[in-house]
Amino acid sequence: MDFVKALSRTLAVALVSFACSFAAETPAQDSVASPSDIAFSHVAVSVQGGEIYPWGDLLDVVENSVYVGMGLRYSYWENFDGILHFDYTYFKSRIKEVPYPGVHQAMGRLGLDWHGPQLGPVMFGGGFTCNWTRADGGDDKEYDRPGGTLVDNETEFGYFVHLNVPFLKYERVRVGLDVLWEELWTLPERSNMLSAGFYAEWRLW
Amino acid sequence: MPATSLHKLFASVVLAALPAFALIEPETEGMDAVTRDDGTFLVGSPTYSFDRENGAGGIHSESELWTPEKLRMRLLLNRLSGTPSWTPREPSMWLRTGNELGDMIYQDPLYDKDQRPDNRNPILEGGFRSPAFMGLWATARLFQVDHYSDNSKGVRRSQVDGDFSWFGENWPMFSTAYGGLGYTGHGVNASVLAGEEYVWLFGESSRWIPVHYSPRVEARADFWDLSLTLAYENAEYQNFKKKESGTRTEWNGSAYYHCGELCRDGLLWFGAGLQFRTVEDEGTVYTGLEDDVVVWPFAQLRLTPLKALSLDATFGVNNRDWLLQDSVEFKVGPMPRLGLILGEKNVAGTRLNPIADTEEYFDGDTISLAADGNMQMHELYVRAEDSLSLFRLGARVAGWIEYGAETFDTTGFVEDKMLTYRYGDVARIEEWIQGLSGEVWLGFDYGKMFSFTALGGYEHIWGPNREFEVSPVEYYAAFEGDWLLNGSFRIAHSLRYRSDARWNLRSPNPMVIKGDWYWDATFEQQFPKYGIFLTGTLLHVLSDEVLQTPNGSYDRLRFVCTVRKTF
Repeated sequence: MDFVKALSRTLAVALVSFACSFAAETPAQDSVASPSDIAFSHVAVSVQGGEIYPWGDLLDVVENSVYVGMGLRYSYWENFDGILHFDYTYFKSRIKEVPYPGVHQAMGRLGLDWHGPQLGPVMFGGGFTCNWTRADGGDDKEYDRPGGTLVDNETEFGYFVHLNVPFLKYERVRVGLDVLWEELWTLPERSNMLSAGFYAEWRLW
Repeated sequence: MPATSLHKLFASVVLAALPAFALIEPETEGMDAVTRDDGTFLVGSPTYSFDRENGAGGIHSESELWTPEKLRMRLLLNRLSGTPSWTPREPSMWLRTGNELGDMIYQDPLYDKDQRPDNRNPILEGGFRSPAFMGLWATARLFQVDHYSDNSKGVRRSQVDGDFSWFGENWPMFSTAYGGLGYTGHGVNASVLAGEEYVWLFGESSRWIPVHYSPRVEARADFWDLSLTLAYENAEYQNFKKKESGTRTEWNGSAYYHCGELCRDGLLWFGAGLQFRTVEDEGTVYTGLEDDVVVWPFAQLRLTPLKALSLDATFGVNNRDWLLQDSVEFKVGPMPRLGLILGEKNVAGTRLNPIADTEEYFDGDTISLAADGNMQMHELYVRAEDSLSLFRLGARVAGWIEYGAETFDTTGFVEDKMLTYRYGDVARIEEWIQGLSGEVWLGFDYGKMFSFTALGGYEHIWGPNREFEVSPVEYYAAFEGDWLLNGSFRIAHSLRYRSDARWNLRSPNPMVIKGDWYWDATFEQQFPKYGIFLTGTLLHVLSDEVLQTPNGSYDRLRFVCTVRKTF
């Protein structure tokens, strides 16, 4: 099954990356006292890309898809970073009755990452996500057909947790793996997806 | 920006009216009923809610009663509302979005058409107010709340031509855009805003009335202790299905001299003002103002013969109505937090809101919005609060009686798809109604870092409660907590229960709003040094999706997020 293959491939890379990450240089900890001084004392921008795997019933609805995006990471407290991500993906439909070939999806995420010394360079975090979707084609007349609500804009919020495993660090640049689990507060059931991808991050200051 | 005395006065009134509740923002200003349950707070739309605090005295809701502090609120038919707000914000720029949770997204193809839940609706807002340059500043704002718009949408969209909003196809209950200029400095705070607005008013007939303000212009000026407001509204009315249309050209405004901070410490303070509305209706307009004009002069007096004793009175009178609101308070102990208050307050008058329209025209019926005779309400209350180390303990007991309470004499109903409308007139309950209420609370404060309050309240009302528009909630309990971690991450949460409330007069059978639990939570990353605030708020997490008002829309779990940068 495509999905299982793709996922095992990604998890294998994740394991290797995780092992490498402990070998990579551990970033120096800030020792600034006040949280307001720590906030934005470091800022990094990133580009990222990878694959998204629909979970549960959604496996029957859309195919795995590739995502690309950019991000911002800023120091918030000691051992905590704030993160802001904007990603884009295109989900191809698996269901023939749906009156369009696929769906554009833009994702905005805001959250916090914890990078305590116990995890080495690995970061663990979570936050809120906002996903905007719109069908690639179709019109209002097809609203009552399967998938018809997506011919208009649809937006849903949810939360995510993720593991960020940096495995390469060179001066201001850091490369790593990001494995993310997301649940959207959709109805009639919640929607879950897993994504795994790589990022390259450049520290501005 | 130096706050003017009127702003401070309004703020102090608002703060005094709110208990120590968690700092959770609803969708927009004026929708406070969403985050409160210390009484009867039922929301049918951003432009219509029933808001009555436990023990407020009388059976009316707060938005039905005119007070001088509400001069700059919006008059939505016969209620005064904080939504849609035309009050310029502090210098900042902001973006806000949110959604009633439960869009289907990729769940859609998995379910048949008849299994699909109703589509969920978002909110959208963006705006800025620039920093002052030589005292001058500019502002602009676009906002609409599409929440609470589904249930009545089927009926409402046939009434109007087009989407009746700035964005989308959800027929939101209001959609507003305005921009303008202001000046702040040397004791002066002035602004002129102009914009275009779509609003659905809720009639006493229970029908939704679309009003398109194009343009609406509002000018405000505060000169030390004098506050002036003037608004011009070109309001377009329509019923697209019935091919009806009309226009109301309205000028309204107020002049209000109130006591500044210095005189408020004195033995006697005096305030006076005048509010007016003048309208010119052409074509089909669904409400009417007697003589097309109302002028409402009023005066305020505060006497403080002893530091512990204060007497307040507000009195307004014109050719049609009079309204008196007064109170006597005796305070012991270091106020405002600790100590004992013994108080008595009265409200008496011919009409709770004397500046509102006097008639509504519905389906051949003329609904009188003003009843003959007058009402009177008298309340005695005792409030005590004390602290022990980090703990606070308080209680409040009140008893009240009311005669001539405003209600509605329903003479018939008519159905329109899933909505029910009524015929009749605003009337009075010519009997004494009595109420007894109590509230206790326990608080814990640990500096700015953590604050917790548990509170419970009870109220019993004796009287012909089937004649009340709303039979209020009998009891409630709330648990509120606010954390500020590291001075820069704020969590506020509020878990509440309220018992049943009941609408008696807007449907053939009374509509019971079942008691329920509500949980709200706000998470906010703060960067005080940079003036950046990133906020996410979950509203009504635990409660069932129900209609809280007749002809309103479902109260749903929703998420709102805001990015704000202050200047």
